[in-house]
Amino acid sequence: MNRTSQVSVTSRSGAQPALFGLPRVFWLAWRDLTLEFRGRAGLLAAVFFLATMLLILGLALGPLRSDLEKAAPGVLWVSLAFAGSLLAGRAFGLEVEDGTLDDLLLTPGSKEWIYFGKFLFQLMLLLLVALALLVMTAGLFYLPLKAWPALLFTVFLGTIGYAAISTFYAGLLARLRGREVLLPLLLFPLVVPVVLAAVRATAGLAQGLPVAEVADWWRLLLVFDAVYVTVCSLLFPLALEG
Amino acid sequence: MQKIQKPGDLVTTLLVGLGLTLLAVGFYFALAAPPDANQGYLARIMYLHVPSAWVGYLAFFSALLYSAAYLIWRRPGLDRMAAASVEIGLVFLGLALVTGMLWARPTWGVYWTWEPRLTTTAILFAVYVGYLVLRSAIEDPDLRAKASAAVGILGAINVPISYMSVKWWRSLHQTQSLDLTTGKVHMDGAMVLALLVNLAAFSILFLALLRLRGLLEKRGGKLVSEA
Repeated sequence: MNRTSQVSVTSRSGAQPALFGLPRVFWLAWRDLTLEFRGRAGLLAAVFFLATMLLILGLALGPLRSDLEKAAPGVLWVSLAFAGSLLAGRAFGLEVEDGTLDDLLLTPGSKEWIYFGKFLFQLMLLLLVALALLVMTAGLFYLPLKAWPALLFTVFLGTIGYAAISTFYAGLLARLRGREVLLPLLLFPLVVPVVLAAVRATAGLAQGLPVAEVADWWRLLLVFDAVYVTVCSLLFPLALEG
Repeated sequence: MQKIQKPGDLVTTLLVGLGLTLLAVGFYFALAAPPDANQGYLARIMYLHVPSAWVGYLAFFSALLYSAAYLIWRRPGLDRMAAASVEIGLVFLGLALVTGMLWARPTWGVYWTWEPRLTTTAILFAVYVGYLVLRSAIEDPDLRAKASAAVGILGAINVPISYMSVKWWRSLHQTQSLDLTTGKVHMDGAMVLALLVNLAAFSILFLALLRLRGLLEKRGGKLVSEA
């Protein structure tokens, strides 16, 4: 039985065809999230991988509290980047397995909405994982959560930049052999600026710096997010079109 | 029997000749220029380091243009030129990294340090190594061209970051002596002349190599399609 067709995009939004992309973007993201939660395999694997990784990192860097505190922001973002590369394949994995990618591409209208739908899906997954990760790093690495609104904002900006690139590459490589190896290879160099800025912002917040001093890094993150989302959404239809 | 082809066209031959001549002239100027006030003779490595880095940036910029042009016009030649640009860019950026390390050891005391210019340049290098790996992983020429064009465009975002990193993060690496953004010159006239001649020689050599590589790819492709 075809899993992807059980939760259909087109039949629900079929009443309002091709004209407006926005509802379709949400339906696509919703469908993928539903499938992800029904399947569970991807998310569970990512969270379990993270937990193991944090334990190993804690053993390798600890047990001094000061050492762990110093490493916490770096650990948070490196783990998120690794988990993200595990999850990136999920964006188009099911479509390729079930052979529904062509149906998706054949849907009338522009192709950008597919990118934005998948991007939203990846963003939601990453944010969920990031929340779990934030709690785990707070517990294992003594990352102070006192400035939690600012921390959440940093995580939000960082994941947008990461998801923009990972969704794009996942789509580009969807049908290739050896994509599991290629994806991190292409993904990591490009997300380094995002991860760097996010680590710096998180480290500043962890040290208890006022928000005004972290704002520079947020601005940099915003610029990267805007550039990556714009360029990727413009390139996506050109690079995927059959 | 296959017809024996000429080794290259006239423009390419001329460019190679001009580039090599200028390289020799540049070498003379580089050795004749006055030594640096602080670093003495050591600073002469600049006449190799700066032009290689410049050609690296130039090549990735050219890859960006060819990639964008490919996505618009979909001509296989444009894809070949983009790939050729990246290959040459990697060679010269690698040269810039190595000469930079050789320069860093006596002046900073270490071969490598995690400061913004070095880090962003290493990232730039990694991005385009990924580009070549991606090309070798895809067999279908159409798909390969499209995918690598996308990577070529996205990767070029890192070029201005690497160039501007010494200004944005006031790093250990010195700022530009010939500043492209403000047009200011911070060096002696004889040194500027030597640097400019070397920059010209490297740029012309880049054009020559690009044309040679493009020709080679074209003929290789023709042989494959004939076979």
